[in-house]
Amino acid sequence: MAHDEQRRNPLIRVSSVTKSYGSGRGRVEALRGVDLTILDGEIVAIVGQSGSGKTTLLQLLGAVDVPSSGTVEVAGHDVGAMRERDLTGFRRSVVGFVFQHFNLIPTLSAYQNVAAAAVNGATGDDDADPIAALLDQVGLGGRMDHRPAELSGGEQQRVAIARALVNDPQVILADEPTGNLDTETGREVLELLTGVADSRQRTLVLITHDDRVADAAQRVITIRDGLIVEE
Amino acid sequence: MLTALGLAVGVALVVVVNAVASGIDRAQQEVLQPLTGVGTDMTVARPLNTSGEGADPFTGLSAAERARLLEEARRGLGLDLRSFAPGQRIDTQGFVAASQLSFPQSRVAAIAREPGVETTAGSLTLDAVRVEGTIPESGLAGARGPGGDIQFDRRSVTGVDVTMPDLGEVTADQVTSGRFFDAARPRARDAILSTAYANANNLRVGATVTLGGADFTVIGISSAPLGGTPSDAYVPLATLQQVADYGNKVTKVLVRVTSVDEVDAVAARVEEGFPGAEVTTASDLAATVGGSLDDAQAISTTLGTILIIVGLVAAVLIATLLTLSSVSKRTRELGTLKSVGWSPGQLVRQVSGEATVQGLIGGIIGALVGVAVAFALNSANWTLEATVQAQEVAGEPGRGGGPFGLGTPSEVSEAIAITTDPSLSVALLAVALAVAGGLLAGLVGGVRAARLRPASALRSAD
Repeated sequence: MAHDEQRRNPLIRVSSVTKSYGSGRGRVEALRGVDLTILDGEIVAIVGQSGSGKTTLLQLLGAVDVPSSGTVEVAGHDVGAMRERDLTGFRRSVVGFVFQHFNLIPTLSAYQNVAAAAVNGATGDDDADPIAALLDQVGLGGRMDHRPAELSGGEQQRVAIARALVNDPQVILADEPTGNLDTETGREVLELLTGVADSRQRTLVLITHDDRVADAAQRVITIRDGLIVEE
Repeated sequence: MLTALGLAVGVALVVVVNAVASGIDRAQQEVLQPLTGVGTDMTVARPLNTSGEGADPFTGLSAAERARLLEEARRGLGLDLRSFAPGQRIDTQGFVAASQLSFPQSRVAAIAREPGVETTAGSLTLDAVRVEGTIPESGLAGARGPGGDIQFDRRSVTGVDVTMPDLGEVTADQVTSGRFFDAARPRARDAILSTAYANANNLRVGATVTLGGADFTVIGISSAPLGGTPSDAYVPLATLQQVADYGNKVTKVLVRVTSVDEVDAVAARVEEGFPGAEVTTASDLAATVGGSLDDAQAISTTLGTILIIVGLVAAVLIATLLTLSSVSKRTRELGTLKSVGWSPGQLVRQVSGEATVQGLIGGIIGALVGVAVAFALNSANWTLEATVQAQEVAGEPGRGGGPFGLGTPSEVSEAIAITTDPSLSVALLAVALAVAGGLLAGLVGGVRAARLRPASALRSAD
């Protein structure tokens, strides 16, 4: 492991990052000066209580929000300095999100949900269709035409994982990926996530309350009251 | 789907209001058509300038008109009204002027040469009169008063140009029984009777009728127009001119112009070139139409237009609000799309595309509902009353009038059925507007969606 880390380059650098919401007496300091480095291909779990700032940190890494101060650099991109067009391209190709509540489009089929996030869209050719292949890889080859309401929670999260992977991003960001699943299904989804990240040598950042999820990570970072308190 | 329903309501309103307005317009045209004659844009005549008051038929006539009228009466009946002596016995029949002065037939061709005139047809309307009785001691003025026993039998007769079956006082379309005059082989003693006159005298096609002392064969029965000045009988123009000794004279020119836009200009030119002539256009006749039909038309042209505009604007506003509401409800979905790399432009296209499709669906539903409602209104047998100021037919009981057709205006009313025939083009236009409304609503909603901050959207979802 030590040898691997020596070979890996830092993919994510978070320096003196603060993030606050609101103003005046209602101002909330979600992050109060976070420094963090995550290596390329590393599987990292960020743990902490509700309101500790872990989801805010994940959103900054995914460029769906910008820091109040400090810098967030992912794969060479300074998230706080990017314009809207660059942010769109970054979210589409550099990172892939997996949400606790799956966040699938209810009116679209599993295939269409994945295709909606694909840079090149669907090919329509089953033999060479990467979306179909991806859904097959996550175990949904036979349920591609089903809508989210027709799928179990585990299956929906598999669709969400396929959606996150469809553009082969360098970083997979998963916010409580097993939080809405039963133990067994959660274990299967976690194995799928870590397996894919490992096989593709992609960086996986997991946010979790679950110790078993944290155990699956190569590194665990604990965050409390907007600060990293333990690594 | 609420957006579609909002637009559907607007489109249905447009289709129904337009169908009703069209039905009212058609009903008014139905009223006006008999007044003008089929295909007639204006008529030119020289009406007698009378007050219509009192028993003296000459009240209000100029000296020249009075002399002219007396001369025509003398010639038509073979009587000199100025030389009657008390106690003199009268029994004569012939043709006399009705409510219009005659003028040379050459005017028909002259008017036809005016710029903007497509074609013209002349007609001659006279009264076939039989006068029988004894002149009382008080003279002719008291003939119908105390002591008077002179009987006036009056039938209005119009000579029509048989070569113009679609332009005249009676047209081929108005013949409900029998046939119209044969233009190729005209027969001088053919006559078409009005339904009212034929029924009152129990006359049928094939019967013989005596008009001004001349016998005619009835070849057709024509429908009675509302509020027009129907004659009791129609005969070939040349025949009437001959038997009434009105050679090359007419009392009216019916004019068809090349374009509706030309009506006013042509009317002005004709009046300028024909002193004493009165030109009556369809719009003049429209002014004589009253009653609930007229009220409804006024409503349909003003309130109807307002209703259509308000309906469409309200529909688009409702669609916009519903689309914005939909965007708010879909914050999580739209935030997710943004977090997986959708650009603001993609979000705008997605939301506006959805709203446009909903506009199309709503438009089609609205058009179908509107058409259904319009047809449903027909089954309700909705009628409006048309009141038309008309010239009374002289000499008939209950219809007033003195000698020589100098009747007084009165009103006639008729219930006109309103048939709402929805317009396909209006329905298609309304659907197009619904699509445009959906697109507009979608653009507003799409821009709002594009401005969503994904972090906020995702946070609100969780």
